[in-house]
Amino acid sequence: MIVSLALRNLKLNKFRTILSMIGIVIGVFAICAMGMVSAGFTDEMDNMITDTADTLTLSPLGEKVVGGHTAVGFSEKDVRNIESATKSVTKEYELVPYYNTYKPVTVGKDLLTASVYGLDSNDMSGLVTLVSGTWPKGGTNVIVGEQFAEDNELRLGSRISFLGVSGQEITCRVVGIMENTGLLTFGIATDSSILGTTEWYSSVVGNNYGLYDKIIIKAYDPEDLALIDEAVDKKMNGKEDKDSDNTVSILNSYELMDIFDEIMNMSSIFTTVISGISLLVAAVAITNVMLMSVKERTREVGILRSIGTYRSQILQMFLYEAGLIGLIGSVFGVALSLIVSPVFMMIMGLEFTAMFSVSVLSYIPLGIVVGLVVCLASGLYPAWKAANLNPVEAMSTD
Amino acid sequence: MDDAPVVELIDVSKVYQMKAGDVYALNHVNFSVRRGEFVAIMGPSGSGKSTLMNMIGCLDVPTSGTIKINGVSTTDMTDDELTEHRLNTIGFIFQKFNLISLLTAYENVEYPLILKYGQRDHSERVKKLLRMVGFTEDRMQHTPYELSGGQQQRVSIARALANDPTFLLCDEPTGNLDSKMSTQIMEILSDLHKQGRTLVMVTHNPETAEYADRVIIIRDGEIVGEE
Repeated sequence: MIVSLALRNLKLNKFRTILSMIGIVIGVFAICAMGMVSAGFTDEMDNMITDTADTLTLSPLGEKVVGGHTAVGFSEKDVRNIESATKSVTKEYELVPYYNTYKPVTVGKDLLTASVYGLDSNDMSGLVTLVSGTWPKGGTNVIVGEQFAEDNELRLGSRISFLGVSGQEITCRVVGIMENTGLLTFGIATDSSILGTTEWYSSVVGNNYGLYDKIIIKAYDPEDLALIDEAVDKKMNGKEDKDSDNTVSILNSYELMDIFDEIMNMSSIFTTVISGISLLVAAVAITNVMLMSVKERTREVGILRSIGTYRSQILQMFLYEAGLIGLIGSVFGVALSLIVSPVFMMIMGLEFTAMFSVSVLSYIPLGIVVGLVVCLASGLYPAWKAANLNPVEAMSTD
Repeated sequence: MDDAPVVELIDVSKVYQMKAGDVYALNHVNFSVRRGEFVAIMGPSGSGKSTLMNMIGCLDVPTSGTIKINGVSTTDMTDDELTEHRLNTIGFIFQKFNLISLLTAYENVEYPLILKYGQRDHSERVKKLLRMVGFTEDRMQHTPYELSGGQQQRVSIARALANDPTFLLCDEPTGNLDSKMSTQIMEILSDLHKQGRTLVMVTHNPETAEYADRVIIIRDGEIVGEE
């Protein structure tokens, strides 16, 4: 009967009930939608970078003069020095120097620009994964990224052509398709890339006067990665206070992941604060509505008390009301966020399936519990006030 | 215990502390009501009738003195114990009927039964009580706003009887009714008395008081006579 009274009162004041529910709907929606999008984005980023998160990417700094020409890159001597620094830390590593640039490529009748890589055939399997075909050999075989193949309708055996260094057209055969790595990767981003041997790269792009464009070092222990980072930095960049002498810029994937996590945590705190403010506004509105309800129903409370209703039951009645507002408002808020969040995620370039991760879906119960708790907390003071009304004074109220 | 008065007031005073000094709403009041009695408490407006009713009804506590219900002092009872008394021992009938506006006539009578016995089928008792006070069955699902004053008071009497209380406490039960309806309501109360019920009625109307076995006259917070 107490629940029934609470329900009937909510029904009796439909408009007011709906208005106070809207506050909770907005608050819960804000928490859930922002949380879901943020969690989806974090999950996706984690997935994208975890596979290549054991990587140091080294880029050259400063120009070198090779045979009278100025160029930027790693010489064989640099590679040896970096390798010796790496060896001083661990014997379990992979070090891959490679060439990389953007190069026009003709696919059928289309002229496109693609990211092209040249590296030793033996190093390829350590950096990329083949979904079909074989590893390229010689000067006319290449492998392409899955996305690139799909976008340009390339299959195994398809031909693409480049304008070679000496101006002649070089036609190459696609012998393998690489698995997509996504654009956020610390190694080679394969999606829209073309990869071939150093021999092939030299004929198509040139060999940059024998200077490599990048070096990737893989170590499987994060602690080793940090130590290698330190050792290479010490060997190649000299003293800390003389940055102008630096020859290597080192991108440490673990450090970057830490920074990324920090940014996501900050963003999460920010969204929680924003959502918290909207919930606080909703809580104030509900307290106000409940206080009005207590005032309007003072006489009714007096009657209920006089005919034998306990204080605790009056408290329950008002808490049921607040709880019902919270529960219904939260369910609507969560439902709304389940509709809007995937749209936002897709706008941010995430897959719809990103919605179905545990961290995203955990916002459903979280939103409902938060909404319910906020409403119950908001209703507590008005309910306590009603329960402690003097029955005689309450009944004499008109 | 059976011989103990249903209601007993021993030297009961209620003092309100005002800026101008203490005001005695009740001043050393002594009286008792025996089982089966119909007692009217009469007095003009401001005489202390309502204060007295609130004390007997466990809605308020005296500043000094003792009130015993069924031989048990209510003076040091907790709020929950007083509430339990109101639920089980006292049946309230108010001047303004005081039905719960959100509930139907049927539910208003059912409410104290649910409070006492929990949610179960009380339909037989509710209907029996409503029939007993002359309330027609076709109006049982009507809310108080859809009922006349007389009908509301009938529902109020049925509600007061729901938990088979030790006594009925009536506060100006005909105060909001016309003379015809007043007579009908008083006939119902009189019948209940004849069936052995104990009634305590606060009124300022001598015609209503005539139904009682005994009339206690109160003025300025003191009992000044008994008829």
